[in-house]
Amino acid sequence: MAKLAFDDIAVGSCLGTLDKGVMTTAHIMRWSAAVENFHRIHYDHRFATGHDGLPDVLINGSWKQHVLAQLVKDSLGPDGWLWKIRFRYKKMDVAGDSIRGRADVVAKEVVDGLGFVTLRVALTDQNDKVSTAGYAIGVLPVRGGPPVPYPFVRKPAFDTVQLPADD
Amino acid sequence: MEGSAKTADDYAKYTGTKGEPKVAPMPLERDALRRFVQAIMDRDPLYYDEAYAKGTKYGGLVAPPLYPVHAFRPPAGGPDPLDLVREDPDADGSGGNDGVYFGLAPLETPFKRLLNGGNEIEFYRCLAVGERCVARARYADVRLKEGKSGAMLLTTIETEFTTETGELLAINRQTLIWR
Repeated sequence: MAKLAFDDIAVGSCLGTLDKGVMTTAHIMRWSAAVENFHRIHYDHRFATGHDGLPDVLINGSWKQHVLAQLVKDSLGPDGWLWKIRFRYKKMDVAGDSIRGRADVVAKEVVDGLGFVTLRVALTDQNDKVSTAGYAIGVLPVRGGPPVPYPFVRKPAFDTVQLPADD
Repeated sequence: MEGSAKTADDYAKYTGTKGEPKVAPMPLERDALRRFVQAIMDRDPLYYDEAYAKGTKYGGLVAPPLYPVHAFRPPAGGPDPLDLVREDPDADGSGGNDGVYFGLAPLETPFKRLLNGGNEIEFYRCLAVGERCVARARYADVRLKEGKSGAMLLTTIETEFTTETGELLAINRQTLIWR
């Protein structure tokens, strides 16, 4: 993985994308089993449609949040750190929908020697409808500056870097 | 009391109350981590390749940053959350929304339908293989609101996730909407 520095980032650019492909009922079931979430709207078609009136079994919001976290983590690369993320669920996704993510740079600033990058993040379906959206703040090293500490340590000076208000 | 009408004051008293620390029944195991990352389809070798992980800033295998919210499973020997599905055809199998409370006393409310209103999460460290996650939750805000389609209960639960030795992993502020 190419190592990314704060200096390489341009406001207005796309920092990264992530394509998870089609989520079949088997993919949804695998997630439910992995985290032992047995809510029937995620695997029991008769319950989801008949009892809850849903169009099909639902892709878990709990799964989609990990896709957003991976999107930002992978976009920042191994020297970066996902510090904050805020997101909301805008619509349901159901079995058969494709999930892809995109992170765009909306702001950047250096605070106390570290590079803070504000990203607009979104997950969309195969029709480019947004299902999950929000903002994230990533931290990157400035070329010639110190590495991003791990574990990441919050300093009072960083409080000037805020997640933007929801769109 | 469950099922009865409540006033704004009844709900306001929840704000600021804390739950008992909730300790994950198991430390993070490699096999549970394998199942988890396969389910989210994240092929980062940090999660399975020990030699690679040792050469990174993490110093060994870790879980994805948001894993702590899923580190709490029903302990062996406890009640079976699926018993209710056998007994009640309307039971949803969720086990009573246990996954949102992280040790908090559940809200007593007549509202039935629960929606996730979104999350705001801060990350500081990843849970490492062999470490056990601890959650400390509090009601950051609980209030009644009149919406276009009637009353709703807006709740923000703030949960701090640490290792057993108290190292901060993440802070999750989850907004829940009951209607």
